[in-house]
Amino acid sequence: MVELVPQLLRQELADLAAMGKRRDGRSQWESRHIELEVDCLYNADGSAKVTWGDTIVYAGVKFEIRQPWPDRPSEGSLMCGAELRPIAGKKYEPGPPSPESIELGRVVDRGIRESGCIDLGSLCVIPGESVYGVMVDIHVVSDSGNIFDASALAAIAALRTTIVPASKFDTGEDHPLKITKTPIMCSFTRVGGRFVMDANADEELGGDERIHITLGDDGHLHSLQKGLKGVFSPAEFAEILEVSQNQCDVLRKMVESAGGN
Amino acid sequence: MGGYGDVKLLNDDGTRLDGRKVDEMRSVEIKAGILPNADGSAWVKHGLNVAICAVYGPVEAHPRKIQRQDRAVIDVRYNMAPFSTSDRIRPGYNRRSREISKVTAEALESVVLVERFPRSKISVEIEILAAEAGTRCAGITAASVALADAGIPMRDLIVGVASGKIEDTVVLDLDKAEDNYGQADLPVGILPTTGDLAFLQMDGDLSPDEFNLCMEYNQKAAKEIHEVMIKALKEKYEEGA
Amino acid sequence: MSGAKSGAEPRLVTPGEVIETSLEMRSGVGITYENNQYISTRIGWLREHNDTLSVDPIQGSYMPRSGDLVIGFIEAVRNNLWFAEINGAFNGLLPMSLAPWKVEFGAARQHMDIGDVIIARVQEVDESHSVVLTMKGVGLRKLKNGCVESLGVQLLDKFRGENNENIRNMASKSDTRIVVGENGRIWIDGEPEGIQSVRELIQFTKHCGHHKDFMAKFQEKINKTRGEH
Repeated sequence: MVELVPQLLRQELADLAAMGKRRDGRSQWESRHIELEVDCLYNADGSAKVTWGDTIVYAGVKFEIRQPWPDRPSEGSLMCGAELRPIAGKKYEPGPPSPESIELGRVVDRGIRESGCIDLGSLCVIPGESVYGVMVDIHVVSDSGNIFDASALAAIAALRTTIVPASKFDTGEDHPLKITKTPIMCSFTRVGGRFVMDANADEELGGDERIHITLGDDGHLHSLQKGLKGVFSPAEFAEILEVSQNQCDVLRKMVESAGGN
Repeated sequence: MGGYGDVKLLNDDGTRLDGRKVDEMRSVEIKAGILPNADGSAWVKHGLNVAICAVYGPVEAHPRKIQRQDRAVIDVRYNMAPFSTSDRIRPGYNRRSREISKVTAEALESVVLVERFPRSKISVEIEILAAEAGTRCAGITAASVALADAGIPMRDLIVGVASGKIEDTVVLDLDKAEDNYGQADLPVGILPTTGDLAFLQMDGDLSPDEFNLCMEYNQKAAKEIHEVMIKALKEKYEEGA
Repeated sequence: MSGAKSGAEPRLVTPGEVIETSLEMRSGVGITYENNQYISTRIGWLREHNDTLSVDPIQGSYMPRSGDLVIGFIEAVRNNLWFAEINGAFNGLLPMSLAPWKVEFGAARQHMDIGDVIIARVQEVDESHSVVLTMKGVGLRKLKNGCVESLGVQLLDKFRGENNENIRNMASKSDTRIVVGENGRIWIDGEPEGIQSVRELIQFTKHCGHHKDFMAKFQEKINKTRGEH
């Protein structure tokens, strides 16, 4: 469903931006309150729930045993998928996966994959014969803005608590999945003409393009995505990249203190 | 029902593997109003099952052809999250979830005063986050709390509960092992005020006497769960009062 | 099972609850009479007034009634009418003839386009729940400034206070103009600081409006409110 954008909202967001203010009183580079809960889903091999303002996202990890790809006989695989089902909000409709949900899953997937936080070689059971497939499913149950950051946070936090269910597959004893890095996503949305961190639902409704940045432990970029209509200048990007370094450090500490392997 | 007989499900003293008595249900926790976007919502933890439900509406029913001129339609989507079960489920609708969605919608239409909202649709989104036998019952309980939380008029709530048979013994509220290796499962949706039934399914093998005992257990459990539902609904208004 | 007594502490009831009463009563809002019993159909406070039993609901969506002042968003435009989203199950229909301007056929869009925000009144609601809006009347217009916030329809009376007392106080303390639509939308216009303080009062009502001591606390908060002075 296409959401109606009230003209007054866009006008108000522009007025506030001109004064350096936001609708909910936050500053330009301020995030909403975040709560992270891990190991919260029975049956998932690793799980997390993120409550980010009024946005709520679950992530659950499952394993399967499969044949390796012919060109990588001793590597397992990782796949992140996201579902944006109608429970998440009025604008979501039932049906096959929407382009929005596929984009969300893939952007989160790239950040985790490219950070190298999982050694795919460690997921090999018998070279050339069987490997583990790790699947991270993201389930957005309440979208009040910035589901990207919430989903990426839930996914890495869930992976960090994951126990490889080897005994279930008769491939050994259950053991923690080895995660060596903590990639973190930080997203920005153009609202009232300038970028802000962690847009809420109103800001997304009355805003323009968004940029998602995933950074690794060393501050290196691992995934970027620009979504929705709009253009931005190199100078704008340089500024948000700098802001994201700080924010990713804060979130990384949160994930690391939530516990895990 | 799965296999029969060869898995031991009752201890020598007559209790069940998890220590419950035959007529004892798993613990039930409920919260109402947990999803900020929804018009009404609920979270139900029944044993290790976790169901969450959002209600949206009433809104104009689209497309036109699903509109009823004299009443609202209730559109239920029961869905199991990919990570909710022992083996991952591929996302998307399957035959099982479609059937459960259909009969759940019909159960809810029996209590909601649908005639108050002609041409409208009330969407009920049930998501199972963790499954340990009995998800459809947890889903029904969650849906009726979420509808009440949305302020939608109903002549009664519906409580989802099941009984069944293991090792030729009737037991209340089957857990995963009992469901897999037991002999019968009888999930029902009970209107707690009158004891009437709005939802009924069964599979396995039950004698009429065993059926009656199952129903007796179900009615008893429905009363207990009903108390928890009412407490959840009232909680947010009575706190700070 | 529970009795409804007037004058007693208000009681919270849930759907399906049987209300015991010794007297012959009429069933009002939120009560149905089935099998010789009065049954609550909503979550809310039970009320016995004169000879009517009813439930003051604490949750529920907006049900339009004729005469309601509403704040709507234009969602579609045709040659001779507009459709406005009014936070109800159905869009309101605003015919050209009930617009505040003289509109030529086919020129509706020149006056109001998609996304515009209006204050309108519900002219009539027909049996199939179709809603006709009018913008002919004092104060009914297209809004050019300010912002719109939302609040559950059950909390509007508390927000307004007796005879709109709270609104008057809020508006003067924050130096804003406030219009409350019956459809759970509130329009605020003024300087950003003033708007922000009213917005905080709306948030407070959202979170605490159901508490028993809400009114005293709310009025205290209003009195502490300051706009740009």
